[in-house]
Amino acid sequence: MELLIQNIVTGLTTGMIYALIALGFALIWKSSGVANLALGQLVLISSWFTYGMLVQLKIPFLIGMLLTIVFAILLGWLIERLALRPLIGQPILSLIAVTLGLAYFLEGLTAFIWPQGQGYLPKAFPQDPIQIGTATVQQELLWGAVISLVLFILLSLFFKYHKMGIAMRATADDQLAIQACAVPVNRIFSMSWIFACIVAAIGGILISSIAAINYGLVETGFKSFSVVILGGMESFLGCIIAGPLIGICETFGGSLFGSSVKELIPFLIIIIVIMFKPFGLFGEERIERI
Amino acid sequence: MLNIKNIEVSYLNVVKVLHGISISVDDGSVVALLGANGAGKTTVLKAISGLLRIEEGEINDGTIEWNGERIDKKSAVEIGKLGLVQALEGRRVFGHLSAEENLRVGAFSRANNKEVKAELSMVYNYFPRLEKLKNNIAGYLSGGEQQMLVIGRAMMASPKLMMLDEPSLGLAPMVVQQIYEIIRRFNMDRRTSILLVEQNVRVALDTAHYGYVMENGRVVLDGSADYLKGREDVKEFYMGISASGAKKSYKDIKHYKRRKRWL
Repeated sequence: MELLIQNIVTGLTTGMIYALIALGFALIWKSSGVANLALGQLVLISSWFTYGMLVQLKIPFLIGMLLTIVFAILLGWLIERLALRPLIGQPILSLIAVTLGLAYFLEGLTAFIWPQGQGYLPKAFPQDPIQIGTATVQQELLWGAVISLVLFILLSLFFKYHKMGIAMRATADDQLAIQACAVPVNRIFSMSWIFACIVAAIGGILISSIAAINYGLVETGFKSFSVVILGGMESFLGCIIAGPLIGICETFGGSLFGSSVKELIPFLIIIIVIMFKPFGLFGEERIERI
Repeated sequence: MLNIKNIEVSYLNVVKVLHGISISVDDGSVVALLGANGAGKTTVLKAISGLLRIEEGEINDGTIEWNGERIDKKSAVEIGKLGLVQALEGRRVFGHLSAEENLRVGAFSRANNKEVKAELSMVYNYFPRLEKLKNNIAGYLSGGEQQMLVIGRAMMASPKLMMLDEPSLGLAPMVVQQIYEIIRRFNMDRRTSILLVEQNVRVALDTAHYGYVMENGRVVLDGSADYLKGREDVKEFYMGISASGAKKSYKDIKHYKRRKRWL
């Protein structure tokens, strides 16, 4: 019983962080139809950047966080400007291939700047475990989940009510018509990359302050792919529901079959979902009036 | 006032589609661009709104002036902000957004929320039907409702010149009448100039003050709506009415005679 609750809470909370990172994918997919394959690497590089700020340069925590956000904004802007904008109007496959190239570039760059391969951030949250009923849960996981949830709600509100958010969704539907409405699409694309980098950075900090910074973060990015695929590529709600679901499956798989199976489970889910529900749980179906 | 002087447009630097077109739209007037498929009507609108460049088209020669200012080098966003707004052909709504969100996107370049609210109630005033449907997903609206939404979205920008590309396309005659009635009202209430591209010559000339007939990238005939309506060749080739006033039966003419050549 204790194990059950413990697994559920742990899975739920880690899943929330996956969901946050997955939002970074959904954001770009939603506005430009590009699948961002560099998700894990964005998480990796911004976590290492935080490490560089907090541990290597010994900058105070809050300022370091702020600098990381600024870094993420710049990164998103640069990526869109240099890698994707020249390709606007080209087949979507070339854009996706560019994100793949970007993934390896960022990975190489981090390995070049931070060759140590493993790093630890100072603990951001209180360490004492919390008792929920009879189960003990790591407090920092709960904090991570709460922060993810808050960000998720903020972003959803932005997309629902802010004119930029609405325009970003509209861009996904019709890129010519949006320009006929005098909306600068370039700005929309760069906004979506900036947002994606910010959520990737925050997700990265949350995970790496709980565990460690290493190549595993890239795999976290891959796990977030399984979140978007299960939830539906463009659905925020899908992300926030599929994230915890995958987290729970993962922890249960881990405690039942051992930790090597744990890593497998998200990918197993990808295969099963694509077989039975190709649009995901909450994906937009293609609207076609016949 | 819009003044197009002698523009030539080609796509991909190869396919020349407009060979020296000159058109002007006076403030507050409704002007119709008529002609068969492929005559270059839509290209004229895209050249004005700046959407041409997005589709690899280019204005090689000639000028487009809006109130004396050259706009043929400006971007689509800049032109939109000047108040020249194009409603695209083929009911291109944002399918996954609600009707009201669609309208809000139309007012993107408006600064404050209050203005947007005022524009929204203005559009709902013209299209009461849209107010009832405002929370519905646009992709599931009927064809007529989608067309209203596209026109409404163009109205949201409170345009000085509204360009409508085939608002009657694929709609029932009743709905076409309704939509044109609203276009007429909008033009009269707000003195908004309207440039209309239309295949449905009859309804277009009933609404417009002036018309241009285009063929193969050239203007072959222009004049006031009444003049055009009175022209025998316009009647015969675009409205299907013969000189005697009776509906022409194409069964009676030999095939080779049917194609009208203006030049």
